[in-house]
Amino acid sequence: MKVPSDSRARILQQVHAATQKTENPGDLASTYSSLPRTYVRAGRLSATERIALMIERLREYDADVVVTIPDKLDAAIATQLKASGRHVFIAAEGLPASWMTDGFEWKIDRNLSAAEIETCEGVVTGSFGGIADSGTIVLHHSAREGRRIVSLLPDWHLCILYASRVVETLPEYFARCDQPPVLATYISGPSATADIEMTRIKGVHGPRFLNVIVVDDLGAELNIRQQGKEEISQGKST
Amino acid sequence: MNGTSYHPVLDPTLAPPFPKAVLPVLRNPQLRKNVAHAIDVIQAKRSRLVAEKVDWQELRSAGAAIREHSLAHLGAYLEQFEVRCTAAGGTVHWAADADEARRIIVEILRQENASEVIKIKTMTSAEIQLNPFLEAAGIKAYETDLAEIILQLGHEEPSHIVVPALHVNRSQVREIFAQSMGIEDLSDDPKALTAAARNYLRQKFLTVPTAISGANFLVAETGSVAIVESEGNGRMCLTLPNTMITLAGIEKVIPRFQDLEVMLQVLARSATGERMNPYTSLWSGVTPGDGPQRFHVVLLDNGRSEILAKNTERQTLRCIRCAACMNSCPVYRQTGGHAYGSVYPGPIGAILTPQLMQMNHAQSLPYASSLCGACYEVCPVKINIPEVLLELRSQLVNQERGKAAKFFDPMYLGLRAANLIFSRAWLFHSAQYLGRVGLKLFTGKDGWIHRLPSVGGEWTQTRDLRGLPKQPFHGWWAARQKEGR
Repeated sequence: MKVPSDSRARILQQVHAATQKTENPGDLASTYSSLPRTYVRAGRLSATERIALMIERLREYDADVVVTIPDKLDAAIATQLKASGRHVFIAAEGLPASWMTDGFEWKIDRNLSAAEIETCEGVVTGSFGGIADSGTIVLHHSAREGRRIVSLLPDWHLCILYASRVVETLPEYFARCDQPPVLATYISGPSATADIEMTRIKGVHGPRFLNVIVVDDLGAELNIRQQGKEEISQGKST
Repeated sequence: MNGTSYHPVLDPTLAPPFPKAVLPVLRNPQLRKNVAHAIDVIQAKRSRLVAEKVDWQELRSAGAAIREHSLAHLGAYLEQFEVRCTAAGGTVHWAADADEARRIIVEILRQENASEVIKIKTMTSAEIQLNPFLEAAGIKAYETDLAEIILQLGHEEPSHIVVPALHVNRSQVREIFAQSMGIEDLSDDPKALTAAARNYLRQKFLTVPTAISGANFLVAETGSVAIVESEGNGRMCLTLPNTMITLAGIEKVIPRFQDLEVMLQVLARSATGERMNPYTSLWSGVTPGDGPQRFHVVLLDNGRSEILAKNTERQTLRCIRCAACMNSCPVYRQTGGHAYGSVYPGPIGAILTPQLMQMNHAQSLPYASSLCGACYEVCPVKINIPEVLLELRSQLVNQERGKAAKFFDPMYLGLRAANLIFSRAWLFHSAQYLGRVGLKLFTGKDGWIHRLPSVGGEWTQTRDLRGLPKQPFHGWWAARQKEGR
C-alpha cells in the first residue's frame, strides 16, 4: 500500500549532502564505538542493598511490595489475591499453574479479546527483571510476562519479580539483554499524571494498583529470610 | 472561563512578533501564576534528581555525543531504520514537508476506512497541524493525553512541550470538562478531573481501531520505536488498535538499542523530575497476536535536512524534547509558551521555529532571550542554545543589510549615528551635552525616564531608564584634576 515517492530519494540525498563533511560511512561501527561512555555502568551495592533499594523505589511509587522465598511463592500469591478483594483474574498464557490460586476465576490469555480482558478485575504476570535505581519493572512480553494488553487493561496488576533478575543500574539491564527485545515495556510505578497543576494523581489509564512480589532466589547471599520486609526497607542506603 | 482570555496563534507564518504577542500574557495575572507555579514545581523536582546522579555530566556528554553522532551519519541510520522496520513488518513512508506528511496519513486512514483516530501526544503532529487537516478530511481525532484533552475540549493552545496545559489551573479544567463532558457536579479536585478523563476515553480506547503517535526515539539497529509517557494512554493507543501510524522527525533516530541506557536516564529526569517515567514502550514493526497488525512510520523532513547542513545550527536537531530549557528560562517563566507563536516555545523553540521557517518567519524569536545560558546548562544533550541564538541573530541582521528599506529604519539610523559618535571624542561629549539637555524633557521628578518617543519607546515600554546625571564622569574627572587633587 506504500505510495512510491521520490521524497525518499530527495530527503536522503539532502541528508547525505548535508553531512558530507562529517559522515564516515566506511567505518561507522568504529566511530560509534569510540563515543565517550564514562557514565556509571556497573552498580556498587551488595545484593541485599540492591533488592532493598528496588523495594524502596517501588514503594515510593505507591506500589505494594512483599518479599517471599521461592518455596512460599504460591502461598504469597494466594495471600495477595485474597487481600485484593477481587475474583476474576487474567493469567498470562505461560503463567505456571501453581501461581493460579484455587478459588478464583482464572481466564488464561489465549488471544482473549479486549472486551473479555476488560471484564477482568486483575492480572498476574511474571517479569523479565527489575532496575533498582529507578524502581523499574521490565517486561519483554514472553509467555509468562503476557501480551502487552493483559498488563494494561485490568485495574490491578500483580507482578512476580525474582531477586536474581534485579540489577542496580539501567546500563546493567542493557548489558543483560543478549538480544534487543522485539517488545518491551518498562513500568516505574502505576499509571500517573501531573498535568493538572503538577499534582501527581495515581491511576489514569493503566492499572491503578501495582503489586509486586519479590522472590528471594539468591539464597544465602540475600538475607531477606531472616529480616522482615520492614527491616529491609530500613536497611536502605540513604 | 478559559485558561486564556485571548486566542494565541501558534502558526509561525501568522503569529505576531514576540514583543507584541507577549502583551496579553503579561496582562493576565492568572495565567502567569499558573505558569510560574508549574515551572517551580518541575524545576525543584528536576534539581533534586539531577543532584543525586553522580554521573550527570558524564551522561550529558554521552547523550550529546550519541545524538551528534546520529546526526553526522543520519542518512546511514535512517536507511538502516527503514530496512529493519520493514523487515519487522512495518511500512516506512518519507515526507518532505508538512503537506506531504498530512496527505500520507490521510491516505492510510482512508484505506483503513477510519472515521475516528486516537492520538498519543505528539508535538510533531502539532507542528504539521494535523488535527484540523484530519477534521477537514472527515476524520475525528481524539487526543488521549490528559493535558491534550484539556486543550482539545477547551479549544486551548499548547504552551509547553511536555505539560502543554500548564497554563490552565484546576478550576479552569473543571469548567472545560463539566461543559464538554456534560458533568454538572464535577469537583475541581485533580483526582476527580483525572477520573472524568479516564471515563471519557475508556470506550474510545476499546473501540477506535486506528491510532497516531509521535516517537521519542527511533532505533536504527532494531527498527523499533520508543514512546515515553506517564498515564498509560500511550500504551492503550499502541496496544489496542489494529493500525498504528507513527509520525517522527527524521532527526529522532539513534543508532542502537543500548543507547537508550543514556537517553532514558537523562530524558525523564530533565522532563518531569522523575528517575524514570511510569511507562516506556518499545516495539519493532508488527508482532503477531500482540498489538496493531498494521504499522506505518512517516519520517518527516520539513526543513530538518537544511538545519543539518549548517555547522552551528545542526546541534538544534539533537533535541530530545525534554523541555528543561523552557523550565529553566527566565523569559519563559514570565511569558509562558503562547507568545512564541509556535508549538515549540521556550529557548529550543526560539532556535528551532525560525529555522523550520527558513528564517522567513518567527524572526523576533532569536531576540526573545537574555542569553543568560541557563538553557545550555540544563540541556541533557548539551545544545548550546545561546550560541545558536547569536548565529541566528547575525543572520537576521545580514538579511536586513541588503534591503534599501533599512535607510528608513530608526534602529538602523540610530546605530549608524552611534557608530559615528562613539568613534570621535568631541562628538561624544557634544552628544552627552545634548542628551542631558534633551532628555531633561522626558525625565520625571524622581530622576527616571518613564516614556520615550519613537524607537526609544520600545525600551521604555517595559522598563524605566535612569535620567542622565547632571555631570558626566569626564567632567567630574577634569574638574578634579584642575583642583590639583
